[in-house]
Amino acid sequence: MRSNALYRALLYCYPAAFRHEYGSQMVLAFSEELEHARQTKDRAGAASMWFRAALDALTVAPKEHFHVILQDLRYAFRTMAASPSFTAVAVLSLALGIGANTAIFSLWNSAIHASLPGVDKPEQLVILSDPDDQGMWTGRLSAREDGDRPFFTYAEFQQFRDNGNVLSAVMATESNFDSWQVRVGDGEWEQARGRLVSGGFFQVLGVSPVLGHVFTAADDSGDAPYAVISYSYWQRRFGGRPDVLGKALGMRKTTLTIIGIAPRGFFGETSGEQPDMWIPLSMQPSVLPGVDRLHDKSPKKVMWLHVFGRLKPGVTLAQAEAQMNSAFEAGLESFYSGVLTAENRADYLDQHIRVRPAARGASSVRTRFSQPLSALLAAVGVLLLIACANLANLLLARGAARRSEIALRLSLGASRGRIIRQMLTESLALAIMGGLAGLATAYLIHAALVRLMDFQMSFSLDPMVAAFAVAATLGSALLFGVLPAWQVTTMDAGEPLKEHSRSATGSIGRMGWGRFLVSLQLGLSLPLLVGAGLLARTLYNLQRVDLGYPAERLLLVRIDTREAGYNAVRRDTLIRDLLEQFRRIPAVRSASFSNLGVFSGGNSTLDIQVEGYVPNGDKDRKSSMDVVGPDYFSALGVPIVLGRGILESDRPGAPGICVVNAAFAKQFFEGRNPIGRSITSVEDNARMTCQVVGVANNARTQNLRRDVKPRYYLPAVPPFDVEFKSPIFLIRTATDSAPVLAVVRQIIQRADASLPIISANSIEEQMTPLTAQDRAVAQIAVAFGTVALTLAAIGLYGVLSYGIARRKSEIAIRIALGARPARVIAMVLRETTRMVIAGLALGAGLAYAASRIVTSQLFGVTPQDPLTLALAIGILVAVALSAAYFPAHRASKLDPMVALRSE
Amino acid sequence: MPMHDTEPDALLPLPTAVFHILIALADRDRHGYSIMQDVAARTGGKVRLSAGTLYSSIRRMLEQGLVEELADSPDPASTDERRRYYRLSRFGKRVAGAEVERLNTLLQQARETGLVPGA
Repeated sequence: MRSNALYRALLYCYPAAFRHEYGSQMVLAFSEELEHARQTKDRAGAASMWFRAALDALTVAPKEHFHVILQDLRYAFRTMAASPSFTAVAVLSLALGIGANTAIFSLWNSAIHASLPGVDKPEQLVILSDPDDQGMWTGRLSAREDGDRPFFTYAEFQQFRDNGNVLSAVMATESNFDSWQVRVGDGEWEQARGRLVSGGFFQVLGVSPVLGHVFTAADDSGDAPYAVISYSYWQRRFGGRPDVLGKALGMRKTTLTIIGIAPRGFFGETSGEQPDMWIPLSMQPSVLPGVDRLHDKSPKKVMWLHVFGRLKPGVTLAQAEAQMNSAFEAGLESFYSGVLTAENRADYLDQHIRVRPAARGASSVRTRFSQPLSALLAAVGVLLLIACANLANLLLARGAARRSEIALRLSLGASRGRIIRQMLTESLALAIMGGLAGLATAYLIHAALVRLMDFQMSFSLDPMVAAFAVAATLGSALLFGVLPAWQVTTMDAGEPLKEHSRSATGSIGRMGWGRFLVSLQLGLSLPLLVGAGLLARTLYNLQRVDLGYPAERLLLVRIDTREAGYNAVRRDTLIRDLLEQFRRIPAVRSASFSNLGVFSGGNSTLDIQVEGYVPNGDKDRKSSMDVVGPDYFSALGVPIVLGRGILESDRPGAPGICVVNAAFAKQFFEGRNPIGRSITSVEDNARMTCQVVGVANNARTQNLRRDVKPRYYLPAVPPFDVEFKSPIFLIRTATDSAPVLAVVRQIIQRADASLPIISANSIEEQMTPLTAQDRAVAQIAVAFGTVALTLAAIGLYGVLSYGIARRKSEIAIRIALGARPARVIAMVLRETTRMVIAGLALGAGLAYAASRIVTSQLFGVTPQDPLTLALAIGILVAVALSAAYFPAHRASKLDPMVALRSE
Repeated sequence: MPMHDTEPDALLPLPTAVFHILIALADRDRHGYSIMQDVAARTGGKVRLSAGTLYSSIRRMLEQGLVEELADSPDPASTDERRRYYRLSRFGKRVAGAEVERLNTLLQQARETGLVPGA
């Protein structure tokens, strides 16, 4: 009958066990009742029966499911409580696996993927500058080679703001993240971080203060000595007290008033940073003294701002870009009108704006960390796989121990589906416990990672991260739960009884899966070990890269003569006077100074013409340049390979000279003798010519990874030092440089107590940040590799111990028949070797594929480096063999009588 | 698994469907459809148990030990082998009694406070 079939179909909403037990009775009762309604011609009754049957499927059926789940869970927890050590190992390894994954995912998500937190409708935001860059460019031209502008000037921002055709609101922020010395009231000076922003900053981002008020457009013009502080700074520094409003913040020579507190969870327009405060751009002259960044003098621009806006309704990115660019180009044309000629026109005017979505905000870490984070995400994924394989193995072994119980249930009529469901519920319960513990672990790992990688972000369980954690938990449950569940239920109900009589040889099939899982774990560990090895060697290479000068016993001290009000002549005297005193310190071997110093992050590039050299393209007309003091090369320790260095006698009035580095000589002189040739720098319409008097060896002073670029060195002689206002002293000491630093500080203080020391570091301190990221990534990779290998070793140990326990009588008989202990050990190790070889075969392929992911991170080592691979394999084999040795040793010590009696 | 060690009070108050089924089984052993018919007849059609509710309740009542399933049909005349019959257990009787007691007390209190008219 059709109605019966329909009703039977409805029964599929109920759990299978319930359906099997009561399904036929329900169909019977239903059909009888329906028949009765038919006979009495009760159509409404029949309709109501169908209605109630459908309602049952929606209400009673889920309750029955819930009942089964509850029953299974109760059973699962009873099983877990019965073997607490198994449960602890399982939950711990899952917590580690899921926790590490969630932590890295959270980091990846917030650094690379997530929208700006605390910002209203971030998807409407656009950015006109390059969101992945930060810094300040000064000069005439500053578009990239493709013409895109990374930053804007203050005047350009004003132009965008006031020309509101396509953007409904525009604001600008300082692209750099600043660190200031501040003091609250008359308190001690302390460190605080923040950035300058335009008056519309908070309005454009749609952010209202939790207390006080924020800047307005009026703060863009005139004096606005105010600061809005972040919620976390308020909590941390002021204990969340509301009387913070109106407090005075001393900063350099100015005093700011705190007028508002930003809401909790708002960190501004840049991801990966947590500013303490925001200050109006108009305060730049007092807060970031030096270059006037608010007014440009044609043809030089000071480009330092990110510009954000919101698109007007209905305006597309392309329309906005076209509109903004036509206004921008008109602005460029009028700005450069004084210097434009037919030849340079294209150079000056080939600059454009790219309008990009800015929901994720600006970020200096995004490009830098996207690759390492993706690689780490892959690595932790593998780690979780290993943990799952380990658990599957433990469950297999436990499943084998529970075989008689399961066989009993099967023979009592339980369906295989029912037992699989039961076992999966157990896996799920384990995974959920592991997942919950994993969240706590994720919090800890996240904190450690953030510290290691110098990120400024806190762990938050946003929907994406939560979804990831849940998916990782459920995925793990399936991964480690399915195989053991399926394995156990493929056996015959009567098998365990027979099994017992066969225990002299053990069951090969089940051991096969265990072996496979161990090989899988070993195989998956190999790429992690290789990756860790490659990154560790990269770090090693970076720390020992030949700089071209000794990377020790060198002090770098930078002072700011600008703020202390020095003019060019007084500055020259001051610097030479200080230098004289530094050189008189007994522990100082030599001292000099330069504009760029060593790894200071700055660079200057000039357009040049080199005598006898015909440039091929734009790139060939540029060289980097530094202005240096006398004895610069000997102080730094860079050998002069030809001619001479820069001397005391290179004073004003002497002929203009310069020294080039070997890279410069190679590119521009191509084998000819550079001595006596001239280099002319062209800036605007001013030309300055110098004669090459020497060639210095290449010295790495910019970065560690890239090749040294052509550079020439000019003596610090007026008028070349017009921009030379914060010199960096290089002080080479004979002994440890730390004690000398105190003397140097004293000398500067004595010379002029108002002279700010911007930085004072040893070369080691200066170089630490250069390798910080590599160190962090290498440390994390090594930690992951170690955990992976430990898990694999535990898995191997478990499988062997279990296998030996099952084959106790076989081994005992062998020993009884005269097998020596060494032979028993060899037998176990042979088995181990087979698993290791299978694992290595799998792992080598994986390692090869994985090495591509880290290629861009490497330095001085190839992704297929044979030494690293050999070392990784060696460690893996050694760990595997030691994990195998203990069970093997135990087996060889078996007493035949005891072992056979126990059977 | 029958829970004979449970005190009857632990199961109170009984869900309506369960109490109806207990009442239906009070005079004789019945199969499912017979229980449905009895409940409908006694309540003048006001309470109609659906098959889903009935068997979900029976599943629970079996676990709680309120009813027992009979191995054989109590009706020798019945030719339908598919039918399964249920009987009120001793524990079931005690629980039903406890429920009646509870309702009685409640009713009495309602009368004493004048909420409803009565003796």
